Amino acid sequence: MTSSAFDLPAVEDDRDPFFDTAARIAAQIATPVGAPARRASYLRLDGDVLTAIAEYDETGEAFRGRYELPLFPNFERAVITGAIQVIGLSELGNLTPEGAAVVTRHQVRSCALVPVVSGSGVAGVIAVSARDDAGFSESQLCQLASLAELVGLRVGHVAADRALRAEAERTQGLERLKGEFLNIAAHELRSPLGIIVGYVSMLLDGTLTGSDRHTALERIAEKSDEMGRLITDMLETARMEALGVELALAPTDLMTVITDAMAALEPRLGSRHRISTRGRRDPMPVIADHARAVTMVRNLLDNAVKYSPSGGGILVAWTRRGGMCHISVTDHGVGISREQQSMLFTRFGRLVTPETSHIRGTGLGLYIAREIARLHGGDIAVRSEVGRGTTFTITMPLPSDGPPARRLNGAETMNTAVPGNS
Amino acid sequence: MDDDVKVLLIEDDNAAAEMYRLRLVADGYAVVVADDGEKGLAMAVAERPDFIYLDLRLPRVDGFEVLERLRADPKTAAIPVIILSNFGEPELRERGLNLGALEFLVKADTTPSRLSETVSRVTAPKALPSV
Repeated sequence: MTSSAFDLPAVEDDRDPFFDTAARIAAQIATPVGAPARRASYLRLDGDVLTAIAEYDETGEAFRGRYELPLFPNFERAVITGAIQVIGLSELGNLTPEGAAVVTRHQVRSCALVPVVSGSGVAGVIAVSARDDAGFSESQLCQLASLAELVGLRVGHVAADRALRAEAERTQGLERLKGEFLNIAAHELRSPLGIIVGYVSMLLDGTLTGSDRHTALERIAEKSDEMGRLITDMLETARMEALGVELALAPTDLMTVITDAMAALEPRLGSRHRISTRGRRDPMPVIADHARAVTMVRNLLDNAVKYSPSGGGILVAWTRRGGMCHISVTDHGVGISREQQSMLFTRFGRLVTPETSHIRGTGLGLYIAREIARLHGGDIAVRSEVGRGTTFTITMPLPSDGPPARRLNGAETMNTAVPGNS
Repeated sequence: MDDDVKVLLIEDDNAAAEMYRLRLVADGYAVVVADDGEKGLAMAVAERPDFIYLDLRLPRVDGFEVLERLRADPKTAAIPVIILSNFGEPELRERGLNLGALEFLVKADTTPSRLSETVSRVTAPKALPSV
């Protein structure tokens, strides 16, 4: 990795010494010669709360803590108007109980509230207070306004820096994705393609006769389907990472989703695996993206087949409980250790152990399945024991008025882009 | 009467093994298949094949280790081994050839008929004059 400006640690507001300096300078500006030192604080605005993140005072208590704007109308006016508020003795009588408490506690006789503007609006306030009655001169207020401009520039710079880092991370994530996809294309798509090409060549040169020809065509169908799903998985993942996914919500039935998923699995089910089911075959109406929900269940089924290579039973069970539908897929395959369970749903977090290193696949299936569950307001959990098998359980809400649909944007999904994060 | 030339396929992908078997049997070879490295080593001794096709990505014991052990065991050292893999990286090819594989074939680029021809080429009795 080449080094870049982004190798510098990102600056966090709360520990930024810049604001301490700004508070000190504000206090010095505001203190007339010979007068007792005045106190200054920089308060950061979040929503409708001002929080003091730097203070300077030599002799008393500067503004500290949190100030909710509705309870402190003078702060609120500074923020809303973007104009300096000077509050003298006469106005101090008109405070809210909260305001009055602060004034008493900090022995405030007058104060100046100087809004800091950055980019699109007010980012914070420099608050200067005096315990004496000398007030604030025009010159001092001008200098405080200039200081506020500089602080505003700083705040804007930090925000821009953060945005650039996030963008750089996103780009790096996409670069990794591209590299991994190229890898997949090379290996994982070659396997089924080799089978298709091989059988087609044998059909063309007449090697195969009788029932072998039927076998050949079945295999070609199987492997074509496998490649199709692989490509779909890759596209879906790229879409989820880069663009965000919008569900095609419509009234559907989770019972149908389950049966559709099992039917889709049929062609890939060899003779070594048997599917059994458990659950009442009643409709389970939901508002959901039917195709994606089928993909979600099907990916778990694919996983069960892949990770029980020596065959065995796969159990699909479903039940309704407490307004949720629980769909579980259980295999009796190699199982997943606790450490590996944390990597399970990450992109490409395929489990590589001596028992599984030969298993083909991209690791995208579980990642996609969980994203789909979460987009529907549900989730997927895993229970497993090495050597015994694994159960994946999907929970989907079955509310009477439909689940909340969440639009997953590119920035949100980047948390799962780094291998190892779950 | 000579026995049919016997080919051992060490390949965990059932579909690929099945496909190669169809071609090789049609061309008159006897075929046995092992679906993991451990079984592959056992069958190399038990079945006394004339030729081995070896996949690299295998359960239990991976392809390179199988190759090393085949070469180290006097009972199997003389059997020609050709690697059949979907990994095409030059480093892997070099490693395989250094370990004693005769050739390194990429599955996706190798049709079943080429597979079969390779067996006949490698196992052809050297004494016969070329036509």
